Amino acid sequence: MQAEPSMQELRELVAEFRPNRGHVMPALHKVQDRYGYIPRVAMDVIARQLNTTPALIYGAATFYTDFRLHPRPETEISWCSGPACRLKGGDRIREAIQQTLEVPLGGESEDGRYGLHIGQCNGTCTEAPQVWVNEKVVGNLTVSKAIRLARDVKGEAE
Amino acid sequence: MTRVFVPGDAAALSVGAEEVAEALAREAPARGVSIEIIRNGSRGMFWLEPLVEVETAAGRIAYGPVAPADVPALLDGGLLEGKPGALCHGLTEAIPYLANQERLTFARCGVTDPFSLDDYRAHGGYRGLARALALTPAAIVEEVAASGLRGRGGAGFPTGIKWRTVLEQPAGQKYIVANADEGDSGTFADRMLMEGDPFLLIEGMTIAGIAVGATKGYIYIRSEYPHAFRAFSRAIHIAREAGLLGERVSGSAHAFDIEARLGAGAYICGEETSLLESLEGKRGLVRYRPPLPAIQGLFGQPTVVNNLLSFAAVPTILAEGAAFYANYGMGRSRGTMPLQLAGNMRRGGLVEKAFGITMRDAIEGFGGGTASGRPLRAVQVGGPLGAYLPESLLDTPIDYEALAAVGGMLGHGGIVVFDDTVDMARQARFAMEFCAAESCGKCTPCRIGSTRGVEVIDQVLARADVPANLALLDDLCEVLADASLCALGGLTPNPVRSALRHFPEDFDRAPAVTIAATSG
Repeated sequence: MQAEPSMQELRELVAEFRPNRGHVMPALHKVQDRYGYIPRVAMDVIARQLNTTPALIYGAATFYTDFRLHPRPETEISWCSGPACRLKGGDRIREAIQQTLEVPLGGESEDGRYGLHIGQCNGTCTEAPQVWVNEKVVGNLTVSKAIRLARDVKGEAE
Repeated sequence: MTRVFVPGDAAALSVGAEEVAEALAREAPARGVSIEIIRNGSRGMFWLEPLVEVETAAGRIAYGPVAPADVPALLDGGLLEGKPGALCHGLTEAIPYLANQERLTFARCGVTDPFSLDDYRAHGGYRGLARALALTPAAIVEEVAASGLRGRGGAGFPTGIKWRTVLEQPAGQKYIVANADEGDSGTFADRMLMEGDPFLLIEGMTIAGIAVGATKGYIYIRSEYPHAFRAFSRAIHIAREAGLLGERVSGSAHAFDIEARLGAGAYICGEETSLLESLEGKRGLVRYRPPLPAIQGLFGQPTVVNNLLSFAAVPTILAEGAAFYANYGMGRSRGTMPLQLAGNMRRGGLVEKAFGITMRDAIEGFGGGTASGRPLRAVQVGGPLGAYLPESLLDTPIDYEALAAVGGMLGHGGIVVFDDTVDMARQARFAMEFCAAESCGKCTPCRIGSTRGVEVIDQVLARADVPANLALLDDLCEVLADASLCALGGLTPNPVRSALRHFPEDFDRAPAVTIAATSG
């Protein structure tokens, strides 16, 4: 796991953003794109850059499900909760993955190396039921394929 | 040089379009033929993706679905001459699914190179803007009003009236905001246009800016669409370089520019005031109304907030005239609607038709019925907050008023089909669960009522005092419908009540599958 970035590095990263132009979300996206999460210190830096309070930045960062305040696990499975996937047995896929990984939906392994998150339909419903492993679509799943996938993820992490 | 079209649309990419394009680029020269590969948008026939088209003297010939491994055999079989054979569907334009549509908004999507302004202009692009530049702002607004265009995001509010309100506000900074937070599961029309015909959206937003006196536009794109965000940002850059955005739009005295913004995973941000809060950099909490966004919107300034599909209809209205557009449709629903067929559908995809087509024609005629081949049991129109309608109502025309009369709504035009294996009690529970997960938390009925709703439905499913719990559920639905601040809480009772009304048998037996909590 990498150390928190320095203030100087963060200041340079968000230097293009200006106060009162609604730049909070673009700044948060830019930080997360770089580090995979929003470090605590980044919220202070963004607040200073946008001439606002860290509380407001923290409020925004915690409202939106995309933003995470902790480093993402090495392997992340996002389970699609859309209707097309549900219709094709998505709930059973989720149960199979949860039981194999031994983590709940929205949870991570104790060592933080793999996790399972809820995903929203991205319109690639021809592949239903599907999950995304680090954003790559793995579609047309069956329960046995899902268990194999989860075992692979777990095995690699152990 | 033979021109070959391989979609660069995200839905086509998810089934291997990139690999197909690579295979063509490798295999054609190996056979001594040079080809030009154009990455077009999708034609919206998803069961044929990746759909490869070849330009011939007779027109474009379609092949699909093409797997990378099919490419050598297809080339050897005369694909580049448009010869018939396996996977060949003949002329693309003659495929009944496309030939029977009335494509105004999607006329170019899948036909042109999305990033070629020359191609866009050659297919009628920027004629709407040219006409708008010759009109007064008030005349543009009246043209849109006379077309009968209504908001394509869900509420169906007349677009012309909204624009007139913003136009009438005192001069000062005004904004155009395009809502591309296409969060309804099973919908993809916005995404297809952003990837397949982005200049249409830029043209529509520019016309809106000139009409109401706004110099700045924002497009808010959901974060699940990173590909669309990149495509649209690229199109903005091209339009700016060509002088179609900037200080002098098309050399006129009007200034207009667009900035693309990315959401961050919040369904509620499709609600217009929540979207404005999010654009301002705040938590996406819904605002009280009044004031209307048309009077005090983004950063407190007069703002036109329209669905992307509303802006997409505007260039046609200006180019062809209000009467041309209003000539399509029925009753108070004028023009065409891009319907999106999804769920358990044999031929899912995009179908643009004039209002008045029945649900049956859309689902059976275009969609070909269920993918499973089992009997259709329920249809949900208008996203996760739309009503579940039974088979017996399929002859209802798709029209704002006709759908409302049977307790439904058009929403963003998504049609999701369920076969007879669906458990409607489970679907009703999902509606409450969805509302609980996506509620912004500002108003009590939505924030707390949705969680209580899940609990009450669980009681019903556990067969604990069913009559009393059903009465409680009805009461709760009434509070949600009447007292919620926005449409999320207000519409959640739709799927619940319609499931109870049309499928009561599912609530009076043990559920088919054990229900486990699914929300994060």
